[in-house]
Amino acid sequence: MKRSSLVFSLLVVLSMLLAACQPAATPTQAPAEPAATEVQATEAPATEPAATEAPADANALPRNETLYFNGQQWGAVACWNPYSSSCNNALGIAQQDNARVTMFETPYLYNMLDGKVYPLLADGPYTWNDAQTELTFKIKAAAKWSDGTPVTAEDVAYTWASHVKYNTPTGSGNKDYIDTIEAVDPQTVVIKAKLDADGKAVNPLIVGAYVSTNYVIQKAWTETLEARAGGDAAKFLADTAEDVVYSGPYHKFFADETKVVFVRDDNYWGQDASMWGKLPAPKYLAHTIFKDNAAGFTALKAGEVDVSQQFNANIQDLWLKDNLPISTYLPDAPYGIGASLPTAFFNLKSNGLDNVNIRKAIAMAVDYDTIIANAMTNQSATFTQVPRSLMNPTAGEQAMYDHDTVKDLQWAGKDYEGAKALLDEAGAKDTDGDGWREYNGKKLSYVATCPNGWSDWQAAIEVVAAAGKEIGIEITTNYPEWSVYQTVVTKSDAPLPEGYDIFMMWSDGAGPTQPWSRIRKLMSSEFNGMASNWNGNWGQYANPAADEIIKAIPGETDPAKLKEMYTELVKIYLTDVPSFTLMYRPQSFHAVNESVWTNFPHDGDGTNPPVPPLDLTDGWSIAGLYNLTLVK
Amino acid sequence: MFRQSRDMAVHYLNVRCRVKGYWKYFLNKLGWFLITFVFAFLLNFILPRLMPGDPVAAIVSRLAQGMSNASGVQAIYQQYADLFGTNKPMLEQFFLYMRNVVHGDFGLSFSQYPRPVSEVLKASIGWTIALQFPAIIVGWLIGNTLGALAAYLKGSFDKILMPVSIFISNLPQFGMAVILLVVFAVNLKWFPTSGGYGFDLLPSFTWPFIWSVITHYQLPFWSIVLIAIGGQAIGMRSMAIYELNADYVKYSRFMGIKDRKIIGYVFRNAMLPQITGLALSIGTMVGGALVAEIIFSYPGLGTTLLNGVMGQDYPLISASTLIITVMVLTANFLLEILYGIIDPRIKAAQAD
Amino acid sequence: MKHTLQQIFRSPKFVVGFSIFAAIVLIVIVYPIFITDSPLGIIGQGTFFPPGIYVSAYDSLGSPKYTLNLPDAAAKRVAAKLGDQERADIRDWLVADGIPESEIDINNTEKLLEQWAQNYDPNKKIQGMTFAKQRYYQRLDTSLKGILSTEGAIIAQKNAETGTLEESNAINQADYVNVSEVASVRFLPFGTDNFGRDVLTELVAATRTSLQIGLVAGLVATLIGLTLGLLAGYVGGMVDDIINFVTNLFIVIPSFVLLILISYSVGQEQRGPFLVATVIGLTAWPWTARAVRAQVISLRNRDHVNLSKLSGHSIVHIILTDILPYIASYVIMALILQISSGILAEASLSILGLGPKTTETPTLGLMMNWAMIYQAHIQGRWWAYFPVLMTIALITFSMNLMNTGLDQVFNPALRD
Repeated sequence: MKRSSLVFSLLVVLSMLLAACQPAATPTQAPAEPAATEVQATEAPATEPAATEAPADANALPRNETLYFNGQQWGAVACWNPYSSSCNNALGIAQQDNARVTMFETPYLYNMLDGKVYPLLADGPYTWNDAQTELTFKIKAAAKWSDGTPVTAEDVAYTWASHVKYNTPTGSGNKDYIDTIEAVDPQTVVIKAKLDADGKAVNPLIVGAYVSTNYVIQKAWTETLEARAGGDAAKFLADTAEDVVYSGPYHKFFADETKVVFVRDDNYWGQDASMWGKLPAPKYLAHTIFKDNAAGFTALKAGEVDVSQQFNANIQDLWLKDNLPISTYLPDAPYGIGASLPTAFFNLKSNGLDNVNIRKAIAMAVDYDTIIANAMTNQSATFTQVPRSLMNPTAGEQAMYDHDTVKDLQWAGKDYEGAKALLDEAGAKDTDGDGWREYNGKKLSYVATCPNGWSDWQAAIEVVAAAGKEIGIEITTNYPEWSVYQTVVTKSDAPLPEGYDIFMMWSDGAGPTQPWSRIRKLMSSEFNGMASNWNGNWGQYANPAADEIIKAIPGETDPAKLKEMYTELVKIYLTDVPSFTLMYRPQSFHAVNESVWTNFPHDGDGTNPPVPPLDLTDGWSIAGLYNLTLVK
Repeated sequence: MFRQSRDMAVHYLNVRCRVKGYWKYFLNKLGWFLITFVFAFLLNFILPRLMPGDPVAAIVSRLAQGMSNASGVQAIYQQYADLFGTNKPMLEQFFLYMRNVVHGDFGLSFSQYPRPVSEVLKASIGWTIALQFPAIIVGWLIGNTLGALAAYLKGSFDKILMPVSIFISNLPQFGMAVILLVVFAVNLKWFPTSGGYGFDLLPSFTWPFIWSVITHYQLPFWSIVLIAIGGQAIGMRSMAIYELNADYVKYSRFMGIKDRKIIGYVFRNAMLPQITGLALSIGTMVGGALVAEIIFSYPGLGTTLLNGVMGQDYPLISASTLIITVMVLTANFLLEILYGIIDPRIKAAQAD
Repeated sequence: MKHTLQQIFRSPKFVVGFSIFAAIVLIVIVYPIFITDSPLGIIGQGTFFPPGIYVSAYDSLGSPKYTLNLPDAAAKRVAAKLGDQERADIRDWLVADGIPESEIDINNTEKLLEQWAQNYDPNKKIQGMTFAKQRYYQRLDTSLKGILSTEGAIIAQKNAETGTLEESNAINQADYVNVSEVASVRFLPFGTDNFGRDVLTELVAATRTSLQIGLVAGLVATLIGLTLGLLAGYVGGMVDDIINFVTNLFIVIPSFVLLILISYSVGQEQRGPFLVATVIGLTAWPWTARAVRAQVISLRNRDHVNLSKLSGHSIVHIILTDILPYIASYVIMALILQISSGILAEASLSILGLGPKTTETPTLGLMMNWAMIYQAHIQGRWWAYFPVLMTIALITFSMNLMNTGLDQVFNPALRD
């Protein structure tokens, strides 16, 4: 009996196999000309009139109406559900610091270049009440859903209620800070912050960021979805939502294993004079799914990609050597604007790494210039240009701390003598003459690690390991698969295991809560003890003084005070060295090919407010889509 | 091709008289293949789940980026662990899996959640079969012909053609793919660089689309065929040489049997191991297309499976390996049966 | 034995294959004796320096100077920065700026540069010009500064006390240095890779590792495959079925899934080259096993075997004396193929990012992998990947040639 059921399932698999072959059966016949004629012959009766002429039929995307991307979409799209964050729908759904607003829209757009937010669905700036507990904004009268109904305050409120009800990432991530979101009237939204014991908002910074990081989703459609899911949270989030109602300028046109295409909604409300006053230039947004950076790079080079959001090694060769009409935001290295700080964390429990001098010695010995020149092919500012701190290289963040106060704490890198002196001071000396130093009677031997296949990080880790040799500390490298790496690193309720002495992780980029949120994730001890810590401070550093300042910053509004606090945090960070920045990385890599489209954002392009280099899809950068023109 | 099938028909007639022994042989093989299938089915389930690491954590990492609240992350983790059943005992998971598979349901993919595994596979397997199957067959045919010719003709054919094909086949497959890509796509621009069809087209039954599919097919296809030719040729040549020196050939020559007839036997015997090779290459089909898929960004099962392995996507790995299992077992089974027909010695041995 | 060897070395194919192989092995052994640099030492700050002789610019300042009055030196200097393309581009810009084309003579360098200097405005926006082109003209403008100067260059050093620049040296346009007299010169025949490592030194070390990997993988695979193939083929029956069963299991589970699993189960330890080699061998044997089995099956009913059986010889004896010698050439061929496919397998695994995890020794696959990650193949940095590919191809090619040569010796009928 059992055997026959196995045979049956074997048959099922086989029939599935055969069924699967059919749609793609055409390529089988490709190798020789006879096959081609055969295809032509069989197809002739059905499609003869259309097939012979008309390259511009409905099945091709006209090149001069389509804007092509790379580097965002890896693998096929899974769903169109704005409540879910696992749709792998890079062109459509990304609720983040610079939220992607092609299909769904946020009330405000964040601009990483000037740190301000600009209204999108919202009408005018938002206002806080005097106690900083309630945030109020209005919805634009012109804002409409794709089904023609107006966007209302009720939609905003219901979106939040659903996030909480179904425990979405947005809901569970914000409910400690946001109490309720209410619709006062059809146009007016009030966000009430959660209050602490003193009656003050727990974190006004996060409340304020909500309006530029989270989509407004239609109430009517949400109710349809709820009816379909029958109240089951998992079903609610797993729904593919092909019928979703959206407010943005683009929506699904086509999606398969090889590409995703969005088409413009020519009834988009944003062409109203109260917003953009016109439609965005490209009719289609298309993203070919490449298997790796090399394939994406080839396509960029061939003019099959207009906007590239991937790491293209030695990008300058495209214009210097190949004379292609390709450019980056800045004309010279670092070519883009650094926003995040890829960081090497120390496992503070490892032998010797509990000693600040040994940590600092390793950080001092690393050759940062080589990391930046080789691993990043110069697509990062150097630490001479932007001295290390907790801030990213944008002008706004750099102005938030006092550079001179922490000047003496800086290190240049590749400072072997200084590092050796520190090690001697720490009592880590080579006592047995084997060339390696000992501390507490044990040889200083560490494993430096990062996930396998994360090439620029691996290259950086190699350079870190090479520094150890120069100062008598044995550092070997190891690259576990990401699936293993992440489970180990994010387990903060136990000491890190062997093999994770020096390890790399990311830090926050640019956003409305920065640099506070980045600093919190690098230094705050509140994450220690979490079984699944996806926030930060993975080396499990704890410093009450730092914790206190981190806690106080969100409620502080006096700029002078804030600068003082941030300076103090930088000072603590550079003194204690719980982790150290290896390079700067842009929010999005941004290279454009001007063979079809031109007028992309670039440094000094005269736009006001400036359009940031974020793929013309994220936050305020979508304004760039309205500036594009054809080359000829 | 025709000659070969006629030969087989003749053979089949010859062995019909011993049909009874043949059935015994057939049933024995069938039994063993079923046992293999059961074990492979078990291993396909267990092996991926023995990998260290936590796939649910990987999903949570995707969901939780940008979340600044500790208990929220925990809650999501719990939710997905329940959904995928990774917190249930292994045995229970297995029975659940088996029940679903019998109903043709492979569950939800972890790495591409919420897509069902069957949808993920359906979207990619057609490309792999369409690319690999013809490539394997064409490579095998050309290679064996060349090998047989080299063994038989010797002389300058053997001296020049063989080293050349050996050299080409000794390039690693990715090397061949890279060279084809750099020469014909990047520099000469004769063929497109990547994808299954034009970057500006949508699938349809129109001539531009079909033509686009054909041009995109060429480089991945030849990168597999060119490599396969050499290996097959070398194998066939050696096999043929070996058979040419066998006692029965000398004996037949001595007996004055016509050369033509002897060569027919020689090559049929030399084919045997080559056919084994063919069956084995069906098994490496998915893995073998991987490199071409990556370098030409060609859609297919190889990268799907690789990403599944990297993302610890148990249901996806189990389902893909199950498909491979079924394909290889079927191919091998058919070959074993064919063996019995082609080479009477095997059957005779079984009848001992 | 001596006779066989003589015969082997008379086969031209074997000799060619052997020479190539021996040359590779010789280089692998000899090179590190003369070049003692660490193969993984990062010497270049920057990626993919092209092949060539690198002369210390700083040291060349202090080297003895020779004055050579070469007639074409100035013309070459100008041509390096102002070629035909640049001249045409300058004309295009000037025309777009409103200067009549008749007034522009692109062959008159002086006049052209003068017109350029007078009219070019980096901030001027020309209708229809892409931003990339605008930046191109800005770069061109910078590179043309002082191109016609006949003055030399002055080298100045910073005074440590006052911070002012003090002239320490001057270079005339006709000054030359002799490369052999410059203190520091480095010859990089294959340039550097993405880490800034010397590709040739790395390649030699990688070849050594890959040869070892191939040997280990080949031996493991052949030993297992031969043993199981002999047993299955000769003993037959149940043994055959069980071996077949195990073989099939190995075939039906993709080897890269197996590889990841096995390397994980070794624990947190590094996935070193030899572990990978062993795993490659452990997953590669079914091919040999099945082929050997097929051979043995067609042998086992031959007369001499039957004769031996009738004489009451033991199974081991029959296998060793009546079967093995007849398939020896085949087994050697299989071994050679397994070695070369082991080298290929390591390379392919590394391309997928599943190769050995090692930072002490490079392997050919890892070199290839890194070159591809940093897009060397698409950016025309041939030196970073092509020598690697050729090395792999030459090793496997030479082994297969030797193999073909051996065949001719073992099968006398095929001797020319």
